[in-house]
Amino acid sequence: MKKLLFIILSLALFTSCERKISQFNADKGSANFTTYVSVGNSLVAGYADGALYHDGQVNSCPNIIAGQLELAGGGTFVQPMVTSNYGVAAYLGVQPKFVLGYAVDCQGVVGLSPMRSMGAMDPFAPVGYAVNNLGIPGVKSFHLIVPGLATMNPYYTRFATSMTGMVVDEFAKLHPTFFTIQLGDNDVLAYALAGGAYDSITPIPLFYYAMKNVLGAMLATGATGVMANIPEVTSVPYFTTVPYNGLVVTRQSLADTINMAMTTMYHLPFHYVVGPNPFLIADPTSTHPYFKVRQMKQGELVLLSVPQDSMKCMGMGIINAVTHMPYPIPGVYVLTETELAQIKGATAAYNAIIDTMAANRHIGVVDINTTLKALNSQAGIVWDGVHMTSKFVSGGAFSLDGIHLTPRGNAVSANCFIDAINQRFGSTIPYADITDYPGVIFP
Amino acid sequence: MFDFFCNLRPVLTKNNCNMRRITFLLLLFCSAAMTSIGGGYQVSLHSTRNIGMGLIGTSLSYDASTIFNNPGGMSFIKDKWSFSGGASLIMARVTFQESGENYQAHLVHELNTPFYVYASYKATNNLSIGLAINTPYGNRLSWGDNWQGRFLIQNLNFKAITVQPSISYKFKDIIGIGVGLVWAYGSVDLNKALPIDYTAGESQLNIKGNTVGFGFNAGLMVHPVKGLSIGLDYRSKITMNVQNANATFTVPAALKGQFPNTQVAVALPLPANLDFGLSYEFNEKFLIGINLCYVFWKQYDSLVFDFKTKTPSLGRTATAALYQNRMIPRLGLQYKINPLVTVRVGGYYDPSPVQTDYLNPQTPSTNEIGLTAGLSVFPFKGFSIDAAFLYLIGMQRTGTYSPENFEGTYSSVFYIPAIGLTYSF
Repeated sequence: MKKLLFIILSLALFTSCERKISQFNADKGSANFTTYVSVGNSLVAGYADGALYHDGQVNSCPNIIAGQLELAGGGTFVQPMVTSNYGVAAYLGVQPKFVLGYAVDCQGVVGLSPMRSMGAMDPFAPVGYAVNNLGIPGVKSFHLIVPGLATMNPYYTRFATSMTGMVVDEFAKLHPTFFTIQLGDNDVLAYALAGGAYDSITPIPLFYYAMKNVLGAMLATGATGVMANIPEVTSVPYFTTVPYNGLVVTRQSLADTINMAMTTMYHLPFHYVVGPNPFLIADPTSTHPYFKVRQMKQGELVLLSVPQDSMKCMGMGIINAVTHMPYPIPGVYVLTETELAQIKGATAAYNAIIDTMAANRHIGVVDINTTLKALNSQAGIVWDGVHMTSKFVSGGAFSLDGIHLTPRGNAVSANCFIDAINQRFGSTIPYADITDYPGVIFP
Repeated sequence: MFDFFCNLRPVLTKNNCNMRRITFLLLLFCSAAMTSIGGGYQVSLHSTRNIGMGLIGTSLSYDASTIFNNPGGMSFIKDKWSFSGGASLIMARVTFQESGENYQAHLVHELNTPFYVYASYKATNNLSIGLAINTPYGNRLSWGDNWQGRFLIQNLNFKAITVQPSISYKFKDIIGIGVGLVWAYGSVDLNKALPIDYTAGESQLNIKGNTVGFGFNAGLMVHPVKGLSIGLDYRSKITMNVQNANATFTVPAALKGQFPNTQVAVALPLPANLDFGLSYEFNEKFLIGINLCYVFWKQYDSLVFDFKTKTPSLGRTATAALYQNRMIPRLGLQYKINPLVTVRVGGYYDPSPVQTDYLNPQTPSTNEIGLTAGLSVFPFKGFSIDAAFLYLIGMQRTGTYSPENFEGTYSSVFYIPAIGLTYSF
């Protein structure tokens, strides 16, 4: 009996007397999160690893935001779910998501590399229910005011309520009380992904007109919310992974041979040294009678889509291994100074429009641009012991397509939204826990 | 209107970002920290009698515990032989609230048991020799494997046991000097998660090792007038240089080459202490004493891990600790009710040596107020059963471990019962 009493007493001593700290108090401030609707492109849809797949959607930025809003009166957030973890066959030629695997390159070197996974994708079919996440992969700003977009973009077809209407028509049907908009990235990104060779940057007036209508349609429902700005393309690994001077000459004799060939045979004024050298790229403006090529300049970007086996084994970027002719990287894989200036100019103009429009209509601006810049810095972003950067694969923030974010990256983005929401509406929405969300998955 | 991102064929190759170049910012931490009872990772539970009276002891020479507290006082011990031994039970209750997030965690309830054994022998009237074995540094804490700070620390078990043979000489019953050589054995075992994901979950790192270190303990005690005792003691820094700890990584197969299991060198300083004590016996029954303990915490500047096998992801990492020197004031009272029972009370204030920007869950150190009470029962002359209780309140504190951007509020309380036996004859 005494023994029992002792045990009870010691247990009481153990379990009681925990120090109390007041719990986080989530408050909605002046906003109403009852019905949250998110609008935008692939970044909103939860697209990642080059596919729209189940786990990517579960970890989409808006879904993470919605989870946090629930603590302050937010309701259920419905997404047009894909059940497959490989992707959805939205149209012919869609491939399953990228995973990291071992690949053999043209030199026989085995390396870890993103590769298309093998797995059954969802067949394409409309989901048949109303959704809160109106994220549509591939859309530019003005696509949202194009009637009949559902006949052109199969990702929209999956949840469109009308085949002839516009995306902005969906807003009122959902009776939103709160919204987030992340739109306009593709207005400049599509051009960048094409190496400036095709596609085009959305003209500023059209961008303005589109955003005004999108925001106008949303505000007409009586909802309030926040709108994200547009990051610079130079902050995503798709454009920053392959260096402009990735041509490494290992010995002086090789440099001498290249220099001799360039000067005496091709009459090209390029000088090569031992160490890193700029790649040769196509240059239609060159005055050279035969070889419309030039060396890349510092700051110019090679896209991740560049055929790297051609570079490694066929001499792309310098001299063709078979023909021994100068072998430039085609313009479609390169963003030149001029193209980058256009992209930069448009991005700045878009962001100025977003800032002004948001200020005039009293909605908050989410500064994703600054966040991605921070991610692209040497120090990156550190949160709870997790160090994230824009480095491809190892940085942990960008998924294997080099453009879209990992779940962890989406959590950072979601917290950036939460910051803007709290600031604008005086709410206290808690941050998402970065450590709950995985980065790149290694084999 | 197809989606643009379907035509990507990114390949990681030798030319651009071969895996060999992938470097993870592996900020391996670790302060060998503790559920610090005593600012950082110092544990000042050296004698149950002292614990009862606010942990004072520098000017006291009633039993063999003086060997550690101030070897200069050993020659003042009246009895030919004196033995003292005991242990404490640290029950730590620490709560953590992450800043800006809806998240709280509690330190896993574990018991830590610092102990002590002392023996002194009066070789001549003025010369004494003695041996002290105790645990002045170290501790153990666990936040669990899945808590939000797991990339900083999951659990840690750092122990140091010191053995101190000592000698003391007194001049004319007024001045006593003493010195001890300190041999320390330390072991560390820590686990932390690494934010590198694979299908099976997150990566893990375990570091386990042990070492020995040396230092000294020198003290001076003065009894200028009857009843008054003044003590000064300096315990040197002991650097625990673990040369060959084992680092065991649990990582994705693809990254095994980046994170090979290897040996790692790590050095942790056990900081020096300069203690001043003053006590006065008003009469046969009543004693009051104060201590001022200055801890040279600045010696813990950073923790360096040097992995023997170097890879682009693994090398030498230094983690800032940037501790500050601190002074701990202590006060204690003792009252002999009768020859059978002596009671004690005391208290102290232990300011945290950790700066607010470097507050780390490995050492969730806050400013602490200690309240103590104790008693000794003497069944027969020279022999006592000692008991004490230390109630230590850690004041709520918000801080960030800025190198890892881990911010939160900590609040702690410690319940520390102690028991001991003392025998002098």
